[in-house]
Amino acid sequence: MFSSSQFDAAAAFSGGGFTSSQPSQLNDSSPAASKSRDSQGLVPVTVKQISEASQSGDEKSNFAINGVDLNNVTLVGMVYEKVERNTDVNFVLDDGTGRIKCRRWVNETFDTKEMEQVNDGMYVRVYGHLKSFQGVRQLVAFSVRQPVTNFDEIPFHFIDCIHSHLRSKVKVEGITSTNPSSVTSFNTPVKSEPNGSQAPSSNPGYAQYSVDGLKDCDKLVIDYLHQHSDMSDERGIHVNELSRELKLPMDKIMLSLKTLGDDGLVYSTIDDYHYKQA
Amino acid sequence: MDTSNPAVFVNGELIPNFIGKKVRAVVQVNRCDGGAATAKSTDDCQLTIKGLPQVPLMNYIEVIGIAESSNSIGAEVWTDFGNTFDTDSYNQLCQLANGEFKSLFL
Repeated sequence: MFSSSQFDAAAAFSGGGFTSSQPSQLNDSSPAASKSRDSQGLVPVTVKQISEASQSGDEKSNFAINGVDLNNVTLVGMVYEKVERNTDVNFVLDDGTGRIKCRRWVNETFDTKEMEQVNDGMYVRVYGHLKSFQGVRQLVAFSVRQPVTNFDEIPFHFIDCIHSHLRSKVKVEGITSTNPSSVTSFNTPVKSEPNGSQAPSSNPGYAQYSVDGLKDCDKLVIDYLHQHSDMSDERGIHVNELSRELKLPMDKIMLSLKTLGDDGLVYSTIDDYHYKQA
Repeated sequence: MDTSNPAVFVNGELIPNFIGKKVRAVVQVNRCDGGAATAKSTDDCQLTIKGLPQVPLMNYIEVIGIAESSNSIGAEVWTDFGNTFDTDSYNQLCQLANGEFKSLFL
């Protein structure tokens, strides 16, 4: 039943960027979308992010955050003020960072059934399209689902927002700060338990972006080594000096040096505590 | 569209920073004494939750309400999260949401 709903939603919703991905994988369309961020994708956001999104042109009604087009979004929050009418259902979604009005057009019995299960005070996951109406930002929802099965989905969604925010920031600023090691450690335990549809959502993205560049910390280390490299001094720089000058904890320094060493950008000299840029 | 009253993600360690403000926390209820329940936060701090009705013990509950002191919350809304929940992820989310990524949430 669930997959058939996604088929309807995808067919009815032509402009959303889902047409290329298989309709039965609405949940999995986030990895497909996140891989190619240049095309419109499904972005996990918080209401706060929506309120800060810049708008480009009133006619087009296009929102953007960090340079990423923000049309189709997914949110997780609590339903309030649900008002059912003949053709649509209106409700307010409160995700803890703010509230946004949502509207779900009800065309078929499936839509009515889906919305009947949703009541005030219930946590739901909403997939929808951002619209601006008379200056007020609203969400046109095309799928509203309860995360009853596993409430780990709630922290997962917010971590996902942080993750995609970091990735788009990376694209905009050109430096890399995906911090895949720390964020992966959050996501792996969450994804191992709940429904499998959540699992693929972020993993392919990691593989792509972590290969591309260096973490913030790595960049600081390599820059420092570069600035202070003295070709005549074969000993290189001691890790204590790195830790002191960059004001980073020793374990972070060592981790960065290991990553850089694996990439072939630095090498250790007289002992494991002295490093030089390659 | 209203972002004026956000609920901050907190664990036991972060509550003192938001006394008097609306917070949200996932806790595991240990005991229920009338109006006040004793619960453990995601970072193993003891918290008192006021205003909770009878909730199943040892279940994870998400409580949204005003932080009344550094170890108590006056609950306004609560949701039963069941008895399986990843406290580590939630704990680290609290730290991120109040640290590096505060702008996304508050």
